[in-house]
Amino acid sequence: MQADDLAGLATDERFRLLKARFRRLALTIVGAFLGWYFLYIALSAFARDFMALPAIGNVNVALLLGVLQFVSTFVLAWRYTRYARRKLDPLSAELRDEAGQRQAERERERRILAERHRIENWTRR
Amino acid sequence: MTIGLFAVFIVITLGVTVWARVNTRGTDDFYAGGRAFSGAQNGLALAGDYMSAASFLGIAGIIALSGYDGFLYSIGFLVAWLLTLLLVELMRNAGRFTMADVLSYRVGRRPMVRTAAAVSTVTVSVFYLVAQMVGAGALVSLLLGIHPGETFMGISPEAAQVITILVVGMMMIFYVSYGGMKGTTWVQIIKAVLLMAGTTALTVLVLSRFGFNLSEMLGAADARSGRPGQFLNPGQRYAKDADGIVGKLDFASLAVALVLGTAGLPHIVGRFFTVPDARAARTSVNWAIGLVGAFYLMTLALGFGATALVGQEAITAQDPSGNTAALQLAQAVGASVAGPVGGEILLAFIGAVAFATILAVVSGLVLASSTSLAHDFFGHVLMFGKPKESQEVAVARFSAFVIGVFAVFLAVLVRDMNVAFLVALAFAMAASANLPAIVLSLFWRRFNSTGVVCGVYGGLLGSIVLVALSPVVSGGPRSLLPSPVDFHVFPLENPGLVSIPFAFLCAVAGTLLSREKSDPGRYSELSVRALTGAGAHGQPTKNVGGAR
Repeated sequence: MQADDLAGLATDERFRLLKARFRRLALTIVGAFLGWYFLYIALSAFARDFMALPAIGNVNVALLLGVLQFVSTFVLAWRYTRYARRKLDPLSAELRDEAGQRQAERERERRILAERHRIENWTRR
Repeated sequence: MTIGLFAVFIVITLGVTVWARVNTRGTDDFYAGGRAFSGAQNGLALAGDYMSAASFLGIAGIIALSGYDGFLYSIGFLVAWLLTLLLVELMRNAGRFTMADVLSYRVGRRPMVRTAAAVSTVTVSVFYLVAQMVGAGALVSLLLGIHPGETFMGISPEAAQVITILVVGMMMIFYVSYGGMKGTTWVQIIKAVLLMAGTTALTVLVLSRFGFNLSEMLGAADARSGRPGQFLNPGQRYAKDADGIVGKLDFASLAVALVLGTAGLPHIVGRFFTVPDARAARTSVNWAIGLVGAFYLMTLALGFGATALVGQEAITAQDPSGNTAALQLAQAVGASVAGPVGGEILLAFIGAVAFATILAVVSGLVLASSTSLAHDFFGHVLMFGKPKESQEVAVARFSAFVIGVFAVFLAVLVRDMNVAFLVALAFAMAASANLPAIVLSLFWRRFNSTGVVCGVYGGLLGSIVLVALSPVVSGGPRSLLPSPVDFHVFPLENPGLVSIPFAFLCAVAGTLLSREKSDPGRYSELSVRALTGAGAHGQPTKNVGGAR
């Protein structure tokens, strides 16, 4: 794929939208999971009495929040995948196909030129 | 019996490797398994690459002895995958075989960048490798039940340790140099299935002993933990109240390295390229999240179950660091279901799974570093990016041999040291040396090659130097060097909290201070390619209207 095919798409309105959507999504997810993870770590380090409170039977708050970390990881992964499928994949597929098409056209032009050149050389002889 | 089951595993994987060899032709096959693995297959392999014996035996042991604090490892190891999920598609689209492909995309053919990436990949892998191989050596004497001073079929424990390291080393070299990515991936898949089956069986058996009542199991564990009433609370092992603020910072430092290291581990990154496109790469990470999550949840049952059913005293009697807890649990549970024979059978099975686990992880690491040496260093630095494919593959096979021998040598040398810290160090190095360079390459328009080189070396050297000057090496209660030697200046055992920001700082400073101009055109190109997948390797370009 030629470089300018790709760089040309960079200013495309749809690409800008794709990029903005991805960045917003990525920042939200990174903020959410890192914030929640470090909150949990801080609680384990500094809020020992709170973490030791019993929650359900012998399960205390610390273990319960720990298991919630697992749940939140699964939920975030699922949300990301769903959003990507709905809002990112169609856009990127469209742009990718267009880049492929442009490349194919360029390739065809090049082939036609080469052919014309060959014929000219041949008729001149 | 363990040996018998393990032999079956070896025979099957050898068969697969030979088959893979027949089907491996060029670099795409050797480095990326022909990019033909499905998302689910690669997800299993990712999980296989990731779940090391350190997490299987190590975490179960820490939970069994220190209760809740061991579970923190499990959480960090899982949560880290979200970051991987966000980066995987971009890296799959931008790269070809290695991290260096992503880093050097914008800066063109700069040997410095390739060299830095190869140095970092090999260093991280070798540290991790040595930890795993020493672990394998320690495991065998425990499995065979040889205590120091005794012999087993005329073999002393020391000899058994060395023999195990040699055998594991030979096997991993064979898998990698002979089977390449195809062979190694199948080894990972088989191992992941075995490990999940083993842990699930064990978990179900353990829980059934408590009528599937989690609370009851925790209560029983608490009672036999040697410190009833505290066992389930934070602070039994990490950030003890007695250690004050330094202990808490050290704990935070470990947590940071765990969560940021995964996305920069070379054997994980190499796996992003084995699937046909970015979507399959996303699917594979989702599979890995599911599997790794289920596995680490089960470590709860293994660890607490071991304390409840085996008891803290019996575990420390066998191994003071608790690495045998899962094995002892298998024996106890098996015995309670089907008598002594059942105990032996389950122990043998779990032991064989542990060996398979070690073997698969070390193979993944050797593959990652030989790929980097052959593709980045030989192909792009020595041959200026124009090697013959057959030549490059031959170099990769040979590098696997060299790195394997080197790792075996190191592992035999340090086999008696307590090298558990090396795993955490490998994560810290991956988080400091690789992650800043990857993130800035993908998202910072001004980033340039000087920045990449400064960031990678800054993170790598920063974390190594900090550990060398920490209580891990000298001046602490569990230091590598004996007590009179004390040159520790840095108070934390885990460098991540300082070395990761330091690496970012180096990368930014290197970029801004160098006179080299970044190329905005190449950056736009990279971002289009990373986000859309246009022009990505292995993407069949649709030939719309371009028919001959």
